[in-house]
Amino acid sequence: MGLLAADWKSRLASARIGAACGLLAAGSAARATTYDFSIDVRAVDSDGRNSYLDGGQGKLRYDKDDNGPHLGRLRAAIAQPLGEVFSLHAEASSWGDYDKSPIDLTEAYLEYRPYPRAGFRTRVRLGAFYPPMSLENRATGWETPYSITPSAISSWIGEEIRTIGLEGQVDWLGTRMGHSFDLQFTGALFGWNDPAGTMLAMNGFVFDDRQTTLFGRVGKSSGDPDEAKREMFHEMDHRPGYYVGGQLRYLDRAVLNVLHYDNRADPTVSVEKLRNFAWDTTFDAAALRVETSGEWTVLLQWLDGSTVIEPNNFHLRWDFNSRSAMLAKGFGHHMLSARYDTFEIDRGAGSNPGNEDGHAWTAAYSFEPGNNWRFMLEWLRVRSDVKARPVLLGEPELATETKLEISVRYAISGSW
Amino acid sequence: MAAVALLLAAGPVLAASVSLVVLKKDGRPLVGAVVTAEPESGKAAPASPQKAVVDQLDLEFVPDVIVIPVGSVVSFPNSDQVSHQVYSFSPTHRFQLPLYRGQAHAPVVFDQPGIVTLGCNIHDNMAAYIVVTAAPFFGRTDDKGGWTIPNLPEGVYRIKLWHPLLKDPTTMLERPVRIGGGSNDVALKIEEVTRPAPLKGHPHSWDY
Repeated sequence: MGLLAADWKSRLASARIGAACGLLAAGSAARATTYDFSIDVRAVDSDGRNSYLDGGQGKLRYDKDDNGPHLGRLRAAIAQPLGEVFSLHAEASSWGDYDKSPIDLTEAYLEYRPYPRAGFRTRVRLGAFYPPMSLENRATGWETPYSITPSAISSWIGEEIRTIGLEGQVDWLGTRMGHSFDLQFTGALFGWNDPAGTMLAMNGFVFDDRQTTLFGRVGKSSGDPDEAKREMFHEMDHRPGYYVGGQLRYLDRAVLNVLHYDNRADPTVSVEKLRNFAWDTTFDAAALRVETSGEWTVLLQWLDGSTVIEPNNFHLRWDFNSRSAMLAKGFGHHMLSARYDTFEIDRGAGSNPGNEDGHAWTAAYSFEPGNNWRFMLEWLRVRSDVKARPVLLGEPELATETKLEISVRYAISGSW
Repeated sequence: MAAVALLLAAGPVLAASVSLVVLKKDGRPLVGAVVTAEPESGKAAPASPQKAVVDQLDLEFVPDVIVIPVGSVVSFPNSDQVSHQVYSFSPTHRFQLPLYRGQAHAPVVFDQPGIVTLGCNIHDNMAAYIVVTAAPFFGRTDDKGGWTIPNLPEGVYRIKLWHPLLKDPTTMLERPVRIGGGSNDVALKIEEVTRPAPLKGHPHSWDY
């Protein structure tokens, strides 16, 4: 009996030592840090009006004064696992135009991603990141793989919207359990997005692949000393905003995404330092993407919302909406895409200087022979009727702007 | 079970071998289907356990389907530079396996028959399946939907069939088949709708 007890004690001790060694081994194992670097250079031929980035009311990143070569984007991203279920993610970019800092962050967050259990997976993100809204900007760096310039909707999200807060997601992984569908629910609380809406009111919808960095701004000021600072990520009223969303996936063929966003800004609050109000911005968004084994992709996007400020209790409201339809066809490493966007901003009165409407056509060809190089050619024409043009700039309301753009991107990714 | 229509071709019944062809509803071959055969008497012992490998290569499981006898061990070596976190929440065998570079993991033992769905907690698009069987005969159909057992005793066999693209991939389709002496040509036609194959060819930079 005594011998048996001693034997069990010895086995227990061995098991403890074994477990401790296992823990040590797990602690010192190489959890690979992954990185991405890319450089994207452009050649542009544009007849665009003076760009909204340059104090004008043009709709394009590159206007008629910007013809020639440009740095489109220099990007570095890193993902660092912390233990088994936590990881840090950071995305930094230099856009080569109107950068406040030579390089700045577009996203930076801590992610908690435990293993799925019983068909459900939870994910929590804390930090600064995009809401899970775009089915278009599905590539690394929140880029669209279908064109150089994203839709009006994604352009606006990249310009003014970022979650700086806490987001929780629950996935029901139906396809892992014999079903044809997966479901996802998302909810978030965030701050530091009270200026969202400023650019829609000042410049309307635009077409631009440039994303506003966390400490950066949108282009340069028009020179008016009273103009709002074009910085999007500030907390002004100390009221958190929220969004809730859902996603339904059919196998890997179709995705339907819906999102309701409300930054719950107090529209009576203004901050002198920013020369800006807290813009009470609310919107609903939906998107549907369908892909076929014949390499066809159909992408439909819809956005409808409003933004309000109340200077001296004077209620000012801008209603906005945009719709987008895209068709793409892949041919192995090659892809052709065509997209149609409509957009509208309505201040209520018929000829109010805040009103605009317009539409745009985009056609793109891309060649992505591997994971390093990507070549893309894009033609984009946007026709817009902006009531502010004659009032602010003495320009005609109507403008048709066309650009042809070539992008050559080199990317490397790996781990250490 | 009713979804499988069995077309037993007439033929000489002298030698004990079976050639199986699995066809989809549209008449085209079902490639890569897992097929197992066990005597209905239940007297046959399972095949001997094996050592199998499911690698992680270029952000995919390779191979993405294996069939192994009960008691087999599977190793997950991870030939990628990046980490993977392999998991299964299938009732047959639940496990979690963090695969970090430079850290070899002990193989996983699969000691219950059933279907195990594998995923990666880091790369959502990765999926693979391990079919654990207690049957003495098992294999996968070739690119013509065919599978042959050259030498087996006569008798009534329970043929089970599984494919990841079956409408309900959590269960195996089942059909008794009488194997007489001689060569037996058996055509199994799946009446169920099969799902479309996963899309391939998107660059890794998509859907980050």
